[in-house]
Amino acid sequence: MAGTIDPDAGISAAGEPITEAEALQRLRQSEDHSQQYYAAWWLGRNRSRHPEALPLLLAALRQRRPRDPGAGVEENAIARNAARALGKLGDAGAIPELLAALDDGDDGLREAAARSLGELQATEAVAVLLRRLASGPAGAGAPRLASPRLQEPCEAMLEALGAIGIAEPGVITLIEAFTAHDRPLIRSAACRALLQLSGEARWAEPLMQLLDHPQLQVRRAALMDLGAVGWRPALEPICHTLAENSLKLIALRGLVEQGAHHDATIQAGSVLSAMDSLL
Amino acid sequence: MRSVEIDPIGERIEAVRQAASAQALLDATCALAASDHGNGVNNEAIACLVEVLGFNNPGAAVAAVDGLIALGPEAVEPILESLDPRNYGARAWAVRALAGIGDVRGLDLLEEALASDIGPSVRRAAARGLGQLRLDALGEPLRLAVQTRCLQALVAGCSDGEWVVRYAVSVGLEGIGLADFNSEYLRAASRQALLGLSQPDGEEVPVVRLRAALALRRLDGQPSA
Repeated sequence: MAGTIDPDAGISAAGEPITEAEALQRLRQSEDHSQQYYAAWWLGRNRSRHPEALPLLLAALRQRRPRDPGAGVEENAIARNAARALGKLGDAGAIPELLAALDDGDDGLREAAARSLGELQATEAVAVLLRRLASGPAGAGAPRLASPRLQEPCEAMLEALGAIGIAEPGVITLIEAFTAHDRPLIRSAACRALLQLSGEARWAEPLMQLLDHPQLQVRRAALMDLGAVGWRPALEPICHTLAENSLKLIALRGLVEQGAHHDATIQAGSVLSAMDSLL
Repeated sequence: MRSVEIDPIGERIEAVRQAASAQALLDATCALAASDHGNGVNNEAIACLVEVLGFNNPGAAVAAVDGLIALGPEAVEPILESLDPRNYGARAWAVRALAGIGDVRGLDLLEEALASDIGPSVRRAAARGLGQLRLDALGEPLRLAVQTRCLQALVAGCSDGEWVVRYAVSVGLEGIGLADFNSEYLRAASRQALLGLSQPDGEEVPVVRLRAALALRRLDGQPSA
């Protein structure tokens, strides 16, 4: 779901405006990890096209080591930010290293790598994603002890499969198993991927029902998912969802920009006028 | 046959003041905001709705903003007087209310918000508001002066870093360009700014380009498709 909500984005303590040259310099040095962390985020956020951005981010991704949760901003946090940024640069040269990160022991890094491979529409990633999710909701989707996380970052991996767009029967069958997961956010991600891959309206129904879910977090996720697919029949339900206008506007932007792929009896103009009334 | 006439607005104000939970505050604010003020606007109701803007309850604040917009110009002074630089949330809601009311007394705040507020949702509301000020009652020279300030603020907003703000700027520029009393200069200048937002070399986000192109078609009097 929340590809747009970056849980670490708010930590940029050094959040003053900087230039691209400064960002590259901050990433190049290795004394101050918080500077590297911010620089990696900055290069992704600004979709840097500087020729040094890719090699420096790949180097930052390689800096990782076994997790050391007590160490503050450590290399793995930089590696995760680098992985996120690599998805935003849009350079396929990042794919081999991101693929390797899908098998890293740090599930936060696997999550970031999966999202970025999805953004890069890296068909090479499908086999690894299928392997990591093969044990299904009871295996990959089982909760960890004493942690809100699942065994695998299922949400990000399912979304990546949808974004990459390979609609083979093996992919579809695996994702379908996750539409019965206990957690609504996982069901939402699975339906989103299936709707992207198949265009079948039956996968939109559960998403539209989640727009009425009692938890705001779930309603937000369903909004983002319908937006990512561009499912224009969801126009009215999105407008009536109890959530922030900012999120509805993001979802409706998706309906305008992605929506032409589907049966578009609802014209872009109607979506624009709905957006106007949410400003 | 109706029994004793009670004062529903007074009761509703009291319900807002007594609300003991977030949900109760939301319900009471909705009821107060929907009140029919009949012949005279109730100043206490306005003060109460303005107060809700500062309560850090987004649902109630949305309802209060709607209520204040419905009350119109009468609400402008109380909103402006309540502005507290230390309460960012309340200020953001006040900008939205003023953008919706469209009274020229909100101009300074809307300009400032679009130029420098940290919240994209506030800049977005300000941009929309700058395009829909109600200026019919002003004399011609003043009207043009105000419109020119709005236009300048919106033109500067074309380079905002957030797509949703640039989207709202397109809507605002359309409002300036369509106002029937506009000078040729204002019309041409808003068209020029919209042209920049409608082309890939000036604007990277497709939905913003589409909205700007729609605004240009409307300025040209074409069907809006």
